[in-house]
Amino acid sequence: MEDPLHPFELHTYIPLSLLGLDISINKAVLMMLLVVGAIILFLTKARSSGSLVPTKLQSVAEIMVEFIRGIIHDTMGPEGMRFFSLVTSLFLFILFSNLLGLIPGSYTITSQLVVTGVFAVAMYTLSILLGLKIHGPKFIKAMLIPSGTPPFIVPLMIIIEIISQLARPISLAVRLFANMTAGHVIIGVLVGLTMSGGLLIGWLPFSFTIALYGLEVGIAFIQAYIFTILACVYMGDAYHLH
Amino acid sequence: MARPNWWGSSMPPSQDPMFAGLGQAMKVGTDLLAALIVGGGLGWAVDTYVLSSKPWGLVVGLILGLVAGIRNAYRAAQHWDKS
Repeated sequence: MEDPLHPFELHTYIPLSLLGLDISINKAVLMMLLVVGAIILFLTKARSSGSLVPTKLQSVAEIMVEFIRGIIHDTMGPEGMRFFSLVTSLFLFILFSNLLGLIPGSYTITSQLVVTGVFAVAMYTLSILLGLKIHGPKFIKAMLIPSGTPPFIVPLMIIIEIISQLARPISLAVRLFANMTAGHVIIGVLVGLTMSGGLLIGWLPFSFTIALYGLEVGIAFIQAYIFTILACVYMGDAYHLH
Repeated sequence: MARPNWWGSSMPPSQDPMFAGLGQAMKVGTDLLAALIVGGGLGWAVDTYVLSSKPWGLVVGLILGLVAGIRNAYRAAQHWDKS
């Protein structure tokens, strides 16, 4: 049976190096370029007609814009709209990587912990910097000591709050990575079972593959949504001290 | 239009209860785990590099991580009531 983890291996296509850094073009890099290309194509296509009565693609794009505007207003309030382009880019990139990764033979970028980790740490750092810029050192105090804490448990609360703050980027990164990887591994295992089962019993794992494929499409949307909304919630915490 | 309609619309609004509920469930699960990892990791680091107090740093770290995780989940659940 084929190794279900085989699709996650990276193979270098064009070896490159810059100042001792390995910047080779591998499967993931190629796929990232494809994802960005697909997003640009989608948005320019959606925009091209520009008519008052929207085309199908245009209304999909408009629903998406409304959706992201809703997320930002719910979490950060209207002043968070200055991050609209950042949040939209994040959402579209993760969504398109998840969805394009579902095409058999392609590669799921978000199944690499490095990719999700960089996104998570970047968004978390941005939220901390934003809080420091708006509220100054008071932000750190409000972050580590929740209001209404009795003085005698303040040292304990500081340790617990540091742990729960550090857990934020980790849970953000691991959630997306684990969901995408696990889904693809399960599909891989079931396809392997289909191959070795033959016609007699192979139809059973194959039908599960089809059902799981539908589930994975749903997971692709949900994970992109969760990543985006949590990044917004963390930035919202920076705006509104609780 | 004849197409699968899993969430009531093709791109669900953020207020969709089904969609938001799934998101919240996913969030709480990994939040518990991540806090435990961070707590255990910090405890282990204190054990190995700072105090050489094996295994007490790991034990205390895991307990604090569990507390932080449950606190995170509790805090998230408080937000659900408001919305």
